[in-house]
Amino acid sequence: MKKYILSFVAVIALLSSTYSQSNVNPDISLIGTFNTFTDLTKDSPNKGKLIFETPEMELFVDGYLNPYAKATGNISYEGGEFSVEELYAEIVRGLPLDIQIKAGKYLVGFGQLNIVHAHAWPFIDRPLFHQVYFGPDGFNDIGANFSFILPTTSFYSNLDIGIFKGDAIGKNEVSNPNDAQSIIDHRGRSPIFIGRLGTFFQVSDYGNLGVGLDASYGLHSKTNFNLTGDFTKPPVTENLYYTYLGLDFKYKYRPDDYTALTIQGEGILNHRDVLRNGFYGVNSFTQNMEKINTYGAFIYIDYLFDKMYSFGAKYDYTNGILGDTPAYNTLSNDDQNNTQGISGWFGYYPIEHTLAFRLGVQHLIYNYANGASRDPSTIFTLQMIFSLGPHKAHPF
Amino acid sequence: MKKLIILFLMITSSIAFADVKAVATTTVIYDLVKNIGGDKVDVDYLCRGNQDPHFLEVMPSYMLKLRNADLVFKIGLDLEKWLPQLIDGSRNTNVQIIDLSQAIDKKEVPTTKMDARYGDVHPYGNPHYYLDPVDVKIMAQEVFNALATQDPENTDYYKKTYDDYIKKLSSKIDEWNRKMAKVKGEPIVFFHSSWIYFADQYGIKIAGYVEPKPGIPPTPSHNADVINLIKKGGVKLIVMENYYSDSAPNQISRLTGAKVIKVPVGVFGMDGVDSYFKMMDYIINQIVNNS
Repeated sequence: MKKYILSFVAVIALLSSTYSQSNVNPDISLIGTFNTFTDLTKDSPNKGKLIFETPEMELFVDGYLNPYAKATGNISYEGGEFSVEELYAEIVRGLPLDIQIKAGKYLVGFGQLNIVHAHAWPFIDRPLFHQVYFGPDGFNDIGANFSFILPTTSFYSNLDIGIFKGDAIGKNEVSNPNDAQSIIDHRGRSPIFIGRLGTFFQVSDYGNLGVGLDASYGLHSKTNFNLTGDFTKPPVTENLYYTYLGLDFKYKYRPDDYTALTIQGEGILNHRDVLRNGFYGVNSFTQNMEKINTYGAFIYIDYLFDKMYSFGAKYDYTNGILGDTPAYNTLSNDDQNNTQGISGWFGYYPIEHTLAFRLGVQHLIYNYANGASRDPSTIFTLQMIFSLGPHKAHPF
Repeated sequence: MKKLIILFLMITSSIAFADVKAVATTTVIYDLVKNIGGDKVDVDYLCRGNQDPHFLEVMPSYMLKLRNADLVFKIGLDLEKWLPQLIDGSRNTNVQIIDLSQAIDKKEVPTTKMDARYGDVHPYGNPHYYLDPVDVKIMAQEVFNALATQDPENTDYYKKTYDDYIKKLSSKIDEWNRKMAKVKGEPIVFFHSSWIYFADQYGIKIAGYVEPKPGIPPTPSHNADVINLIKKGGVKLIVMENYYSDSAPNQISRLTGAKVIKVPVGVFGMDGVDSYFKMMDYIINQIVNNS
């Protein structure tokens, strides 16, 4: 796979150098991200050391296939490995009811932040609940989305409905690692459904507000034990479902080209079937299937001034303990514990859209329902991002 | 209830009466289309008069404006890099894009391979031709042609409004020529490289730019160069678009005595500037009165 990707990159580079003046070639852009951090967490093995992360890279190739459709490929190099981050085609016009169809692998429109590539965020760290419920790379899945513009004339509103493979949703685990065999991870084997209703209001000449409601539903796991508790009988595969409900908003006030105030927030309710309280008897094993609700949210404020400087702060909350070992508490079936985070950053953008430097700090606090304690973590990160080429600005 | 129904009918009927729905990317174009289209054209604009048209944030409200448009008029020459994203977002299959730069005699067209080291250079030529009123005549011709093609039944109407507009514009051009004759050959420092068409038309000498390269913010070392240039060249004026920060020009002004003039380069770019004529009146009066 790695060879194929490297070959693809080489061919693109060759095409770009040979035929760069041609109008029919796609746009090619390269985004580079360099992170250096120091961990000030008490008892951390790397406490106070300056750690240089392996640089990350995204190579975007995008363009029109024909007057009606576009295609995009995004190959990323992250953690020392190449992968196809996104590869999709979009029919943008010409379909009945002005439907737009997007199919392939891409960042799913659940909330407003997830569809924005991380290099374009004003902050450094991915929101905590995105990590728990969508995974470390966000809600990135394979599938198809159908987008409709609603007939509202005074403001913009659209309805998106999609069907996806389901690889990216939060994994379910039993609370006791010894009971792991009682559940079968079914993610990616049954399609999931995602819907979004988004609206956009021009509040004033300089202020704009986007709000949205999101939902996702699907099968995440199956049971793998006999519900009667009798070992001698074959296991029964009962379906375990999840529902994500999301709410998001983004307000941006931009009185001139040099100043912008952005306030954005998202929240999620995770309602899912889980197995609890495994019990071993003589020749028997039982688990209870329960329905739980867990939550996550973030809100941030970012102020851009003098066109090239910004500072901001973010508050994060999620059920689950981030980065815990063993990982059974980190996942989306943890309705007992939570992690809270406070982040701050200062950004410097010397030349718009081409270079960005950020200094950020994130402080995480872990709260265990059983009274267990864990030291809060504090990490300072220095980030540099460059953008080479015509990678399109993300919409509001 | 009755009032509401009447209001509704008035609103819907007013929309129905417009034969052509048009969107202009800038307010200068909006003013042209408004004048030539009259009540036969329902026209709106995207970039405000006090906004830098190089960078417009891609917002759904703009997509809504484009959704039912028959015609979109643009400056072209790669000024509106944000337009394709908006058109795609609008899902409008039938819209015609009218590039008003087609017949313009383009200036500063790069003759060698350009890249980002030269700043924000437009590969097809400088797009700020609308600051030369003679080029606006060509733009008006393009607008007339597009409206007459889109709505042939009203060609006579558009011809009359076009002729009226050209007559007024010609009269204003004569007036502006007389005024600007007083400052012919005057060296002026401009902020951004928007003024080549204007300067060539009126014989203004572009002494330099506050931006070190097009679209690149001022730097201390370049400011020092500009200060030397102003002192040696006897430059009296620094002319800048009013949507740029005047921080660097004011610093240069304090050290050289050159006067900073902030002018609108879009219709509605400042209070009282509600037409292209008033915009050019303001620019020209400021330059002439302060030279």
